Amino acid sequence: MKLQKIRDYADRPGGFGIIVGIAMFAFIALAGIIYPLFGPYKSDAFVGDSFGKPSLTHPFGLDQLGRDVLARTLTAVPSDLGVAFLGVTIPLAIGTILGILLAFVKNRAFVSIVSSLIDGINAFPLLIIAVAMLTVLGPGLVNVVIILTFMNWARYARIARTRAIVVMQQNYIEAARLQGYSKKKIIFRHITPNVSSESLAYALSDFILVIIVVSGLSFLGLAARPPAAEWGAMIADGRTYIGDAWWLTIYPGLALCWSAISLSLIVEGLSRRDRGNS
Amino acid sequence: MNVSFWVMAISFMIIRLSPGDPAIARLGAGADPAAIDALRKQLKLDVNPLQQLVSYIVDLLHGNLGTSLQFGSDVFETIRRTLPLTLTYIFFSAFFALLLSIPIGVVLGWTNKASFVYIYRSITSVIIATPNFFIAMVGILLFSIRRDWAPVFGYVAEFPQNLKFLWLPVAINTLIMTAIISRVLQSSVVETKNEEFVETGIIRGVSRPRFFWYYILKPSMAPTVVLMSYMMGTMLGATVILETIFSLPGIGRELVGAVLASDYPLVQGILLFFGVITVALSFLGDICAYLLDRRVKL
Repeated sequence: MKLQKIRDYADRPGGFGIIVGIAMFAFIALAGIIYPLFGPYKSDAFVGDSFGKPSLTHPFGLDQLGRDVLARTLTAVPSDLGVAFLGVTIPLAIGTILGILLAFVKNRAFVSIVSSLIDGINAFPLLIIAVAMLTVLGPGLVNVVIILTFMNWARYARIARTRAIVVMQQNYIEAARLQGYSKKKIIFRHITPNVSSESLAYALSDFILVIIVVSGLSFLGLAARPPAAEWGAMIADGRTYIGDAWWLTIYPGLALCWSAISLSLIVEGLSRRDRGNS
Repeated sequence: MNVSFWVMAISFMIIRLSPGDPAIARLGAGADPAAIDALRKQLKLDVNPLQQLVSYIVDLLHGNLGTSLQFGSDVFETIRRTLPLTLTYIFFSAFFALLLSIPIGVVLGWTNKASFVYIYRSITSVIIATPNFFIAMVGILLFSIRRDWAPVFGYVAEFPQNLKFLWLPVAINTLIMTAIISRVLQSSVVETKNEEFVETGIIRGVSRPRFFWYYILKPSMAPTVVLMSYMMGTMLGATVILETIFSLPGIGRELVGAVLASDYPLVQGILLFFGVITVALSFLGDICAYLLDRRVKL
């Protein structure tokens, strides 16, 4: 019965991609939660020869200090996907609320100042700003989340504002107003749910970008730093030894691709569903 | 105009409004208080923020971006030394990407055969979802270590030799850009195909090359050009990583070096340049889109 439901879902346009994407994402997320709890090796334990080749006991091989690469790759899941998740959801919430509130502001001058501020923030490549802000904040994953919040709210605010202006002209908002609902109730019960679908869709594709930015910053040694287990940091670490031990670089990179591809399958499936059959 | 003011103000504020003292960040928490005070004075941090902004803008209008703490030289000089290389390989990447995207986009968009499009979209999805530094590492593994086609890193500034160092980074940028651009071009060609003037063109029997150029490609180019200017901005951001990997002496690596050394006037100056270039690129993109397709609103 349940299986039939899934099968029906997969038959709708884009459904197959969405299901595969969710399964891939769930797989790596679960592996990242379960392995650190029950896995045979700890991420920072020295369990064998340095540069041990991939084998049955250590399927991803061992790194320069004899640590298990599989253990490190999976232990990195919470710090990579977790940080990226926070780096998407916090600005999503803040930006959406600010954008909706901005749609209510009638003062022309104020709106034009704030929207040009938003454009100004969006003008900088995210990675550049992040690198520059880390000068003063200092490296660290928490600071990366702060920076992502600081930078990315602007995009969500713009999406939410544009959408809120459209939604506010709909008849059901007029109806709610005529029924004498308070402004607060209209904003949170009627406008926000109708605005957020577009923001959520953007957030999902932003998730991919943020995963790449977080691991990119770690690669530069500005977010998570070795010996912390984090994909970008592991790739940077393995870079020195790439001639002798490709597995130090390739496996964390594949984990990174795996997560990003799973999300992009979901994004593409959803957009395909939007467009209908094509 | 407004936007460029904010770009300037943001590159100024980012460092000053961040919690933490740049002077302490540069010298370390245990430094001599007198030295910290002196540095604060040198960076003009001892006056109130509004005065700081005013003196920053005045300096900027005089073309003075300050003095690098690392090198003791003019920031503008440092940027002028490093920026050309970065811009050169970004423009080459964009050029090759366009060269590849046009045939791919037009052929796939015109035939629109489901199986081909499906394979092509899968491949491009994978490329887009892969971080550039991972593609670069795989590239180094394949071409520098397994084969001896490219040096692992380093750079020689003279003309024929530098191609040896540059082809791999350019190829990687081109690959990523082609994946994104050709996708957009392909879907706009599919859209253009359904326009009435295309049918008119077929009925009138316009010659093949002329038909593809004027009836298909030109009306489809506008979104691609806008995207391309945006992508070049993103590429500029990505140089931070690529130049670190290939140790190319461009502006991205300079920024990372400045960040690691807490060289704060240099960070600010480079930031400003990145902002200005990105704004200029998107402006150029909009103008080109308008020239290609007058239906686009500026």
